[in-house]
Amino acid sequence: MQEFFDLARKILAEQLEVEIEAIGAETTFEALEADSIDIVEMIMALEDVYQVEFPEEELEDFPTFGSLINALYQYLQEVGK
Amino acid sequence: MGGDYAPGEVVAGALLWTGDSPDNHAILVGKQEIVEAEIARLQGAGLPGNSSQITIVNANEVIGCEESPAMALRRKKDASVVVATALVKEGQADAVLSCGSTGAQMAAAIFILGRMEGIERPPIVTSLPGEGGHQTLLIDVGANVDCKPAQLVQFALLGSAYASSVLGIGSPRVGLLNNGAEETKGNALAQQVYALLKEQAGINFIGNVEGRDLFLPNADIVVCDGFTGNILLKALEGLGLFFARSIMKEVEKPPAILASFDYSRVGGAPLLGVNGVSIVCHGSSRREAVANGLRIAGECVANGMVARQAEELAKSN
Repeated sequence: MQEFFDLARKILAEQLEVEIEAIGAETTFEALEADSIDIVEMIMALEDVYQVEFPEEELEDFPTFGSLINALYQYLQEVGK
Repeated sequence: MGGDYAPGEVVAGALLWTGDSPDNHAILVGKQEIVEAEIARLQGAGLPGNSSQITIVNANEVIGCEESPAMALRRKKDASVVVATALVKEGQADAVLSCGSTGAQMAAAIFILGRMEGIERPPIVTSLPGEGGHQTLLIDVGANVDCKPAQLVQFALLGSAYASSVLGIGSPRVGLLNNGAEETKGNALAQQVYALLKEQAGINFIGNVEGRDLFLPNADIVVCDGFTGNILLKALEGLGLFFARSIMKEVEKPPAILASFDYSRVGGAPLLGVNGVSIVCHGSSRREAVANGLRIAGECVANGMVARQAEELAKSN
C-alpha cells in the first residue's frame, strides 16, 4: 500500500508541479487545485504502471487524495495486482 | 450530438454545409435511427443539402453539462463527443465539432487527440471585431473556468503561434485583460500572469488591456481566464443583439457592423493546443451557426492550423 501511495503521490506532484510534501492522505484535491482532468491523468498513469483498468464507478466522490488511493488500492488487491 | 437544439438543428446545419461543395462530407455521430429520421424530416420539409454527403456513426450516449467531464469521458465511452473525437484521432475525420458540453469536448480533445507539448489546458479562441477592420483574438473564452498563472502564459504562446502561423501576423502583440492599465492592477491571478508574461521569451507582451480598449487596434491577442472570457463574450453577444433590436426600431436596415456580434455568423471557435481540429459551438447553436462552425472547421483543416501551430510553438519551447 505504501509503495502504491508513494507512486501516486509522485505522479500527482509532477503533474501539478507541486512539492511532493504538499500531498498527504488528508489533502483534498480542491486544496491542490486539481480538477477532474488532473485526477484522471493520475489514474491513467497508475493504470499504465499496473496494467489494469480501474472501473469508472470506483472513481467518483473521493475528495481527498488518500480516500481515492485507498479505493484504487483495494481494487488492485481484488484483481490480484 | 449534444446541444440545446440537437439533433434537429445540428443535422440541419450539416445538411446546409453539404450544399457548399460536393467535397464536404459530414459524419453525424449520434443515435442512428434518430439522426436518420431527422435527415428524412428535414429533407421532406425542403431543406437544401445532399444526404449522400452524410455518413452516420452510431453513438448512444451524451455527456451532459452537469457531469464531471473527465470522469464522464471514462464512463461513457459511447458518448457522441468521445466517438466523434476518436474519428479524428483515427484519421477517419479531419475535424470534430460539438454544440454539447464544452468541458467534455475539451476532455475528449486532451485525452484522445492529445495536447501539444507544454500545454496543460487547451483554450478556446475567438476573434473580436475592431476599428478599421482589426481583429483581436480573445483567449480563453470558456474552456477553462479556473486557471493557473502558467496556463494564461500558455494561452499567450498558443495565440502568438496561431496569429503568426495561421493569420500571418509578424510578432503579434499580446495583452492581458485587466481592470486597469498599470502593472500592479488586477486580482492575484492577473498580477501573477503579468509578471510571467513580462519575462516570457517568444511573446511580444504589450501590458494590460482594459475591456473598453478591446475594440481598438492595439493588441492582436488578449488573454484571460475562461470564466472572464466567457462572461465577456456572452455579454458582447447580448449587447450586439440589444443594439440590433434597438436600432431596428429606428432604421430600415441594420448597420453591417452588428453582424460582427452575431455568434451564429461565426458559428464556432477552435480549441488551441491540441493535436487535432476541435471546434466548439454555442450550446444554443441553430442550423446557421452549425453550418458556419463546419465552415470554420474546414478552414482550419485547409490551412493546416494544427501543424503550423505546433511548429510555431516548438520554436518558443
